[in-house]
Amino acid sequence: MSKGLAVEIKNLVKDFKPSLRAKTIRAVDDVSLSIQAGDVYGLIGPNGSGKSTTMKALLGLLSPTSGTCSIFGQDSMKVDSRNDVGFLPENPYFYKHLTGAETVRFYGKLCGMKGAELEDRVREMIALVELDAASDRRLGGYSKGMLQRIGLAQALVQDPRLVILDEPTAGVDPTGSRQIRDLILTLKERGITVFLCSHLLEQVQEICDQIGIIHHGKMVREGRLEDLISLEDRTELILDKPSPELLEKIRHLVAAQEGTTLISEGHPRTTLESLFLEETK
Amino acid sequence: MNSTTNTSFISPRKILIIAQSTVTQLVRMKVFWFLAPIALLFLGLQFFDVFWYEGPEASQPQQELQMHKNLCLGTMMLFGSLFAIVSTALLIPRDIEDRTLYTILCKPVPRLDYLCGKLLGVIFVIGVAMLVMDLLLVITLHFRTQEVLGEMDGFLESLGWPDDVVAQKKADIAAHGPTLTLQFGVLAHFFKAAIIAAVALLISTFSTSTIFTIATSVLVWIIGALQSIAREAFLNDDTLGESTSWAAKILGTLVSLIFPDFQVFEAVADAAARASEIMAADMIKIAGLAFFYLGIYTVLSWFVFSDKEF
Ligand SMILES: Nc1ncnc2c1ncn2[C@@H]1O[C@H](COP(=O)(O)OP(=O)(O)OP(=O)(O)O)[C@@H](O)[C@H]1O
Ligand SMILES: [Mg+2]
Repeated sequence: MSKGLAVEIKNLVKDFKPSLRAKTIRAVDDVSLSIQAGDVYGLIGPNGSGKSTTMKALLGLLSPTSGTCSIFGQDSMKVDSRNDVGFLPENPYFYKHLTGAETVRFYGKLCGMKGAELEDRVREMIALVELDAASDRRLGGYSKGMLQRIGLAQALVQDPRLVILDEPTAGVDPTGSRQIRDLILTLKERGITVFLCSHLLEQVQEICDQIGIIHHGKMVREGRLEDLISLEDRTELILDKPSPELLEKIRHLVAAQEGTTLISEGHPRTTLESLFLEETK
Repeated sequence: MNSTTNTSFISPRKILIIAQSTVTQLVRMKVFWFLAPIALLFLGLQFFDVFWYEGPEASQPQQELQMHKNLCLGTMMLFGSLFAIVSTALLIPRDIEDRTLYTILCKPVPRLDYLCGKLLGVIFVIGVAMLVMDLLLVITLHFRTQEVLGEMDGFLESLGWPDDVVAQKKADIAAHGPTLTLQFGVLAHFFKAAIIAAVALLISTFSTSTIFTIATSVLVWIIGALQSIAREAFLNDDTLGESTSWAAKILGTLVSLIFPDFQVFEAVADAAARASEIMAADMIKIAGLAFFYLGIYTVLSWFVFSDKEF
């Protein structure tokens, strides 16, 4: 089901020279990656490893020292490549003097939308990020998580085919972060390509088709998620209300089997995340 | 692949959207409040007799009106220019610091459109402010002129001069009232403020702080005002030998290219205050000059800005 490449980054190198006398910092070192249209790609790596820099280069906010980036086949340095992209920067800030709805409307207009189509879209986006109640308040009074949501609404306003999210769940509470996760899954169902980076590995694991691990500006591991993390030679059984006799039988069966060992046994724990979600429902 | 709309090099619609948002931003920053003290000042002048004004017997009864005009035009020039510098200097560095710019440039918005939009927004707000101040000036000056004419009426009649002399005398005074010439003066100050805004725009594209932008723009403003004086002093400096004088000339030309020359604008504004005639041709000339400077500074800003990284 190859529908072409949404993103293609070839041998991207980005050097920064903070001042004339300082020595250059290589933020991204020969990174290549490509994302199939319709995939969700997760870029993970420690702080300062070059994730945001890669994304900015892809959006043409930074010009690459060498290498090329393109979006749906168009060079990132060209304005036209931005018609089909929505971007949520890390720690987004918008004009504090605009209200939530005005902000989304402003970005919609910048994408060339107008009239009733724009108004419908603004309402739809505000509802999508669940800010209906706050849409007439100025952003100066928004909390961090609310700003993040407005950022998401802004990124999606023109219904782009590619969405780039730089830490979409930073500063968002677990419920909100679960909603953002669900939203990304919805986008995926609709065939929209998502390129994200996040430190919440559990979520990355839940939603991404493809993963890249970047460290010190170098891509150290890349591939499809299931290939990267599955332990092919192990199997896990989780039983609901097993009787002690049944468990005893299983242990005997396993012990009798040559070459198989029982590695662990116990009660599976719920994650803190699910517990939090359960309690704050 | 779906149809990709071609984003042209420069799109008036996007410029207008950015300009509109800039106006909203400035209005919501409550910048128009600075008009309140100016209004008070203009109205206050109304009730303040210039100390050397000696009544209708004075040889120059227009002096009172001229004083009013000088003070008001001076205030408009000062506030217009300072406003242009401060608001432009606040806008772009702030967009960069707040990273609002990321989100704007990630939409299909050419960088030139962003710059033009910001500049247009600031110039529009300056225009509105100038218009308000102009209105105040016209109203206060109108009443003041009526007052002087009224005083003169009684005085001239008591002298028993022939009618045509009296009429001439009154016409002279009326020429110092709110005339079209005065509007030309206001327009000259508006052009000047717009150019200063473009200079501040250029500086803010490469400066990293608001304060640097403001300080440098004020410097350019002062150099622009003093330029011709400085250039003359420089060119006439005899201590420079024959051989260096052409170098001095080149330097002088260079300075006049980099820094806007405000002398022409000042001259028009002065003539307006003195109520001496201003030719339509002169107005066209300064309007052309203003557009030339605006164009130059916008293109220079764009050169710097198009390679900027965030
Ligand atoms: N404008 C800049 N000037 C100088 N150095 C920069 C600049 N932007 C980024 N860097 C450097 O590039 C490196 C990569 O930064 P980047 O922001 O891409 O990291 P990141 O992976 O997004 O980290 P985080 O997880 O903290 O967001 C860092 O060492 C950073 O100091
Ligand atoms: Mg980052």
